[in-house]
Amino acid sequence: MSKALVRKDRLQGAGLDGALPYLLLAPSLLVVMAVLLYPLIDGLRASTKFYRYGKPLRDVGFDNYVQLWSDPQFLNSLMVTVSFVASAVILETVLGFALALFCSREIAGIRFMRTILIIPMVVTPVVVAIVFRLIYASDAGMLTAISQTFGGGSVEILGRPLRAFIGLVALDVWEWTPLMFLILLAGLQSLPVEPLEAARVDGAGGWRLFWDHTLPMMRPILAVAIVLRTIDAFGTFDQVFVLTRGGPGEATRLLSIFGYDTAFKFQQTGYAAALFVTMGLIILACAMAAVRLLKKVEAK
Amino acid sequence: MTAVLFENVEKRFDGGVTALKSLTLEAPEQKFVALLGPSGCGKTTALRILAGLEMPTSGRVLIGGRDVTRLQPRDRDLAMVFQSYALYPHMTIRDNIAYPLWLREVPDAERKAKVEAVAKSLEVEHLLERKPRQLSGGQRQRIALARAIVRDPAAFLMDEPLSNLDARLRLAMRGEIKRLCQRLGTTTIYVTHDQAEAMTMADLVAVMGSGVLQQLAPPEEVYDRPANRFVATFVGNPPMNVLKASVAEGELKVHGRGLAIPPERQAELGAAGVAELGIRPEDIRIVAADAPGAVPGEVYVVEPMGSETFVDVMVGGERLSARAGKSFRAAIGSTVGISFDIADACFFDASGVTVVHRAQNQGGKQ
Repeated sequence: MSKALVRKDRLQGAGLDGALPYLLLAPSLLVVMAVLLYPLIDGLRASTKFYRYGKPLRDVGFDNYVQLWSDPQFLNSLMVTVSFVASAVILETVLGFALALFCSREIAGIRFMRTILIIPMVVTPVVVAIVFRLIYASDAGMLTAISQTFGGGSVEILGRPLRAFIGLVALDVWEWTPLMFLILLAGLQSLPVEPLEAARVDGAGGWRLFWDHTLPMMRPILAVAIVLRTIDAFGTFDQVFVLTRGGPGEATRLLSIFGYDTAFKFQQTGYAAALFVTMGLIILACAMAAVRLLKKVEAK
Repeated sequence: MTAVLFENVEKRFDGGVTALKSLTLEAPEQKFVALLGPSGCGKTTALRILAGLEMPTSGRVLIGGRDVTRLQPRDRDLAMVFQSYALYPHMTIRDNIAYPLWLREVPDAERKAKVEAVAKSLEVEHLLERKPRQLSGGQRQRIALARAIVRDPAAFLMDEPLSNLDARLRLAMRGEIKRLCQRLGTTTIYVTHDQAEAMTMADLVAVMGSGVLQQLAPPEEVYDRPANRFVATFVGNPPMNVLKASVAEGELKVHGRGLAIPPERQAELGAAGVAELGIRPEDIRIVAADAPGAVPGEVYVVEPMGSETFVDVMVGGERLSARAGKSFRAAIGSTVGISFDIADACFFDASGVTVVHRAQNQGGKQ
């Protein structure tokens, strides 16, 4: 570098110019620190304390974390959460992809169809849950009403463990398939057309076109959509809270509900904090594994 | 025998754009046919209809005598090279080339041998394990060709395969594709807007304009005996000059000048209803302004090309191009004369159809 340039750099760094970027960033950084960083650190700190109403605060180190892995309630919640996330995300992906494939064709009325399909996503989750509660209610719910019209008895959904779980998955699928649909439709429409046309001329029929070309080319987009949806599904709270509060028994008690109960019902703040930190780490690990897998696929 | 036949094919797109108006075109077996025309003339649409990627609004398409109009692309036994190469981005080069064979369930060993033979003939063996995005434009081009010739299809379709290459590579590939197609002897339909490609590569040039086939003929004939004004002015660089002209009292009137018509052309010119005259730049001579029989004009621009010089001359408000020797020079604005042999000119009627062609190799010219 020439001398003149060095001098110019120094001049710029010496004055306000050097500090300006940091000054401009400062307000948003402060906000982020106040609402994200501080609670995070405070949560981590809380997770190492023992706190129960009426008892003195105690430092317990990593005991809360150790205790989690031998707590049958936590392990059950973890199982329920994993089953819930897996079934909901798989169903949403398959349905969303199928709908996206269907709607990516240019046929009459398809724009209207696309608009209709994304409506569930824009309804407030709590409202969705209340509506589903009305559908599932065993005394005067929609399902019971339909069953009675055809001479059947009342339909009990939320009172039985497996049915309640399926009902919860159905709600999530209804609400979040549109997001999958939207992401995958955008992905399909951004695929290059020529390789698909070349494959048709080369001799590929509908299924071969899908398996050999559409699916491999969609793989990165599918991966992103699945990761996003998985992270989101892990944190599902409001629908369960309104619909079943985790019951019957522990059949639908997701980690989020268990953590909420631990913190606010049983007042074990430290234990709940350790639970949520663990949950965050699990999600982080899942996301990182997915991203690594994605990179490997792309490099291949 | 006819390999490919378009029969009154019409294509209207939603929104009312008519890309093809009743195209009838016959491509003979084992010939290299270039569809040549300006953008929007319908040549790519014609190729896509032939491939089965578009359905014609009406008319029929036949391949080897078989009506394929309603068949899916995969049932037409064609191989196509796309302008963007259209390689499969997620497959290796080996799989790209093998794909058409794989779909036809060619046994593994045979498939492998064929892919390697084709790769060798196109000198791309060292690229087989790579992915398309690791290749340069020219290499991708070769792979697209390899994927087309790995089978023995009824015809090759090529949609402007060279237009994404740089000028140097384009020239090299032009020769290679020509040699390849001659060696394979497969009917080839080649879409291009570049007349140099059409003229140098094709056995037959199909000139298309506004959704209609204007002329189907060997390149020399398209150049020397254009069917109409459109073909005359589209083919040739610089294009053919067209001047208003009329025939009266045994003379050809051009910009108020009477030019004597040679006796042997008197009869055909007198009867033809001539409205315009077309003359190629190389048939125009630049002479002194006061030379006998010369039409005077003003030099508009002189463009030395190295091997020759293009001279544009304004004659009566019309700009004519002439090809002069490499050493020709004249000042812009200076007055020169232009002259030409009436035997070298062709004549169009008011609707633009060629009514009198240039005299063929007579009088010792050419």
